[in-house]
Amino acid sequence: MAIRVRCVAVLPGLWHNSLWARGQLACAQKGGTSTKPMCAKSHNRFLVCLVLVAALLATLLAGCASRPTGQLRYGLTLAPSGIDPHVNASSELGIPLTSVYDTLIYLDPETGEFVPGLAERWEISGDGLAYTFYLKEGVKFHDGTAFDAEAVRFNLDRITSEALASQKARFMLGPYDRTEVVDDGTVRILLKQPYAPLMDSLSQVYLGMASPAAVQKWGADYQLHQVGTGPFVMAEYLPGDHLLLRPNPDYDWGPSVYRQRRARLAEIEFRFFTDAATRSPALESGEADVMGEIPPQDARRLESSTDLKVQVVPIPGVSLMFFLNMTRPPLDDLRVRQALLYGTDRKAIISTVFQDLSPLAYGPLAANTLGYDPAVQGYYPYDPEKAADLLAEAGWADSDGDGTLDKGGQRLVLDAVLMGWGSMPEASQLMASQWQALGVQVESRVVSYSEALQIAGEGMYHLIPFNLSGSDPDILRKFFHSTASFNWSRTNDAEMDGWLDEASRLTDRAQRVTLYGRVQHRVMEQALILPIRDYVNLNGVSSRVQDLRYDGQGWFPWLIDVGLAPAGK
Amino acid sequence: MSARAVGRRRRRVRLVPAVAAAWLLLAGAMALLAPGLAPEGPMTADPARALLPPGAGSPLGTDFLGREVWVRLVWGARLTLTVGAVAAGLAVAIGLPLGLAAGSLGGWVDSLLMRLVDGLLAFPGLLLAMAVMAILGVGMESAAIAAGLAAAPAYARVARSVAHEVRIQPYLDAARAVGCSPWRIAIRHILPNAGPALVSFAGAQLGSILLMIGALNFLGLGDSPGSPEWGMMLADGRGYLRQAPWASLFPGLALTLTVLAVNLLGDAWE
Amino acid sequence: MAARYFFRRALGAIFVLWLAATLAFVALKLTPGDPAQALLAASGATPAEIAERRAHLGLDDPLLLQYGRYLAELVRLDLGESWLHGRPVGRMIVEQLPSTLALALAATAVAVLLGLLLGLPAALRRGTWLDTLATSCAVIGLSTPTYWSGLLAILVFSLYLRWFPSAGQGSPAHLVLPAAVLGFAMSGAIARVVRAQVAEVLSANYVIAAHAKGLTPRRVLFVHILRNAMGPALAVTALQFGFMLSGAVVTESVFARRGLGKLVVQAIIWRDLPVVRGVMLVAAIAFVLTSLVSDLARGWLDPRLREEQQ
Repeated sequence: MAIRVRCVAVLPGLWHNSLWARGQLACAQKGGTSTKPMCAKSHNRFLVCLVLVAALLATLLAGCASRPTGQLRYGLTLAPSGIDPHVNASSELGIPLTSVYDTLIYLDPETGEFVPGLAERWEISGDGLAYTFYLKEGVKFHDGTAFDAEAVRFNLDRITSEALASQKARFMLGPYDRTEVVDDGTVRILLKQPYAPLMDSLSQVYLGMASPAAVQKWGADYQLHQVGTGPFVMAEYLPGDHLLLRPNPDYDWGPSVYRQRRARLAEIEFRFFTDAATRSPALESGEADVMGEIPPQDARRLESSTDLKVQVVPIPGVSLMFFLNMTRPPLDDLRVRQALLYGTDRKAIISTVFQDLSPLAYGPLAANTLGYDPAVQGYYPYDPEKAADLLAEAGWADSDGDGTLDKGGQRLVLDAVLMGWGSMPEASQLMASQWQALGVQVESRVVSYSEALQIAGEGMYHLIPFNLSGSDPDILRKFFHSTASFNWSRTNDAEMDGWLDEASRLTDRAQRVTLYGRVQHRVMEQALILPIRDYVNLNGVSSRVQDLRYDGQGWFPWLIDVGLAPAGK
Repeated sequence: MSARAVGRRRRRVRLVPAVAAAWLLLAGAMALLAPGLAPEGPMTADPARALLPPGAGSPLGTDFLGREVWVRLVWGARLTLTVGAVAAGLAVAIGLPLGLAAGSLGGWVDSLLMRLVDGLLAFPGLLLAMAVMAILGVGMESAAIAAGLAAAPAYARVARSVAHEVRIQPYLDAARAVGCSPWRIAIRHILPNAGPALVSFAGAQLGSILLMIGALNFLGLGDSPGSPEWGMMLADGRGYLRQAPWASLFPGLALTLTVLAVNLLGDAWE
Repeated sequence: MAARYFFRRALGAIFVLWLAATLAFVALKLTPGDPAQALLAASGATPAEIAERRAHLGLDDPLLLQYGRYLAELVRLDLGESWLHGRPVGRMIVEQLPSTLALALAATAVAVLLGLLLGLPAALRRGTWLDTLATSCAVIGLSTPTYWSGLLAILVFSLYLRWFPSAGQGSPAHLVLPAAVLGFAMSGAIARVVRAQVAEVLSANYVIAAHAKGLTPRRVLFVHILRNAMGPALAVTALQFGFMLSGAVVTESVFARRGLGKLVVQAIIWRDLPVVRGVMLVAAIAFVLTSLVSDLARGWLDPRLREEQQ
């Protein structure tokens, strides 16, 4: 009966064959006599051989793809949906575009000072509300139009316009009021309040100067045809596939931080390697000459390779850290938060997950950020006994012997919301295992960035990790001000708010550093965060690549200086 | 074929389902006894013992966090098998009534239901499950529901075929002549006769459901990070394939053996 | 009449497509969550802005009107816009399609070859060790997940032997391992059908008659056996190709290839439902089309089928 049924199901008429639909069962009739004819396998064998030979030939031929000389292949790791620096927030877009656009000023990563860019010199008014820039002469956009004060005004107006819906550039201008064109070569930016980070903002590609003519010409498609004044021209962009840069033949007005006057490379091709597993194979096969964000375990292996090296670039800003939601029990108890900090062996996380390629983070700011206070290194050494004591002191005990602490009928279970990048899931697994020994359970899930923002907005989490790059310590205000959108520890500290607000208004660097020092100490005393590591970008670089340097933001290379030695056998 | 060859073949044929059944029993035992066999749990990490190869120090090796692979396999068996059973149960619970009703009642009910099933069958199984997860959100529960829903239409089809086959049997004409209602006929006559074929197909589907759930976890749509689910262990092991291939080898082997066993048993059932 | 057969098949195909499209529409409507909300969530928009976006997207119109508009757009091959990227879904799919198609075609070729290689000898030498070996290979192919066989293939052929690249795309060499892995997985079903059908045909009267007439075994094989056995084999191959998309999703993930698989996984993680719906519809179209073509081919191969009453 069963056999009959299956054969019935094998009737012609495809829609009526669910068995076929799942491709699982075949009408397998047993029995029957076999007549054993001469095997006609030789025909099959011949066909198979033919196909195999063809495949082999194809494979061999594939290896001989030719490559123009002087072409650098740079691997990008994220394919952002939009790459207009005035609109989009991704740092990936800055990697090629920092060489397409020039900025008014540049940050020298070695001295930490600002040097002239498109602006030869500048004056800041006493009240900090007016910034006057005297622009270089003879600067032209890639489309031939002249760069002048009017162009600057156009750019800033564009960035701050509601219609553009800028995700980052607009916010980098802070309490921006308007721009005045004093004359062709002089432009004045006016603020509603003093805003110290403005200089730092103006040195970044997000506030690079675009050609007004091109913006108006291309409209919504501008991101595919970007025009700046930089040492490279955007030749071609196919979203998600590749981006081509070619040298700007007229480039003559580079800042002092550029060592070359003109670009050395003939062409730069950017390709996307969004999957981490593809990055080191691409480097090893020569498909890419430079690749960022190599997974730590691959980086260790590449270090021992002869024709590849790993360039470790520390990124300033807010380190990779877990924010502890201090408004949600049991984390509303300071002792519990401190216990978590004492109970985490962060050194083990660094050596296991990050292969010791990242510095351990001790506070909210990365060690190479302006304003970092080294004194935060004294907080919370690994001390599991102290952690246990603190938890006991806070009233938590394992009354039912199930391995998890409880108090008043509630088990100590924490809700962690993670994102899939930056080795966060791996780090949190190790952390969860360490806390298991303390009796703390962690339930974690991986969500997309937008979902994480939504959950964070609702407050339905205990732990959420993040890191953000930035060269100005005002970045702390984004995370620890009571009104900040990324205030994920949900802190409400009026005194700290005051420090953050004041520091963003002062122009005296020393005073700002003092205030930010206080903020860092307050954050650690209150155990608002669990710092894990300072972010470093692990760049895999072919040994043929010369003079690859990164700017003050850490992410963005100065491609004008880069050269490529000819391929040797 | 000589008599000896036939006898040999019969013995060989009986050996295969026996081995398959033995493996399934072993997997089931691992799943049930996990808390006793490996009380430390699948999440206990020991970084000092990371990436150890199988050998004296560790039976099946350790992964990048120093967790024992065999411990995670055993706890993973629990997860994989339970979720697989739940999903298969769901597929039957939805597909069986639908298919039986269509096959037993015939007429416009049959056409309507089967057209609906046809529409669903136009989507590949894994994609259908993924689409359900897009609606429900990611997680293990969603994965179970998604896999069950994706497998249900096929089951409905088979149930309908089987029921239809039985329905057109002459002896049921007698029942109808006597005045039995279609429902009564369905439950008292069709269902018992169709039973064996339906059970066998459910078993065969279990294999593809297990693969589907493993796929959903491998793609990162399933359980939380660190879960010992076999598909997820494969995804985790991928980043360390060179340094610790055993972390991917054993979970995959376990899953393949389980699916193979289910398929072989299903074949032998006929 | 042959024409009626083909006409009925085509009509059936269109009907199933319509059904699939309707199911996709209903599924999207059932989803909790507001596309306007999702679009503007990260930007911190006000409720008024969200309401305006809803009206702009036509989400407040009566359901029937939305459905009508949706069908009209589908006929024009307009699959809507991605919530995440804002780009037309159709264009996004077309960008990724060639990569997936290459993998699917290569894998199908491997699957058919392997299926024949395993199924034919098994049927022709039924009951021997060859049969057992071939059938075992087929069952193993069915049972092995591609996300494991793929990793094994990478380990052996890429990391140890260094014959092929382990990830990415761009050359035929990149296609070998993924196609082999996916093809092996798909070949099991084909091998089984070939074996069963050839075995059935072998014992059929006309084959015995052909042998009795004195035709060479080779001629018997090609003229009679294959032609009659290939019908269902073609059917299952078409089905397997239709499901190639499912397999491609996983294989693309294992070998880190770009394609529809990666597109749809990203879309699910980000709840970008228009893209998910678009890919589902493309998959349904692929399935229906290949089934239709295979049905028509079988109808041409086997005139008896055209006479079947549905």
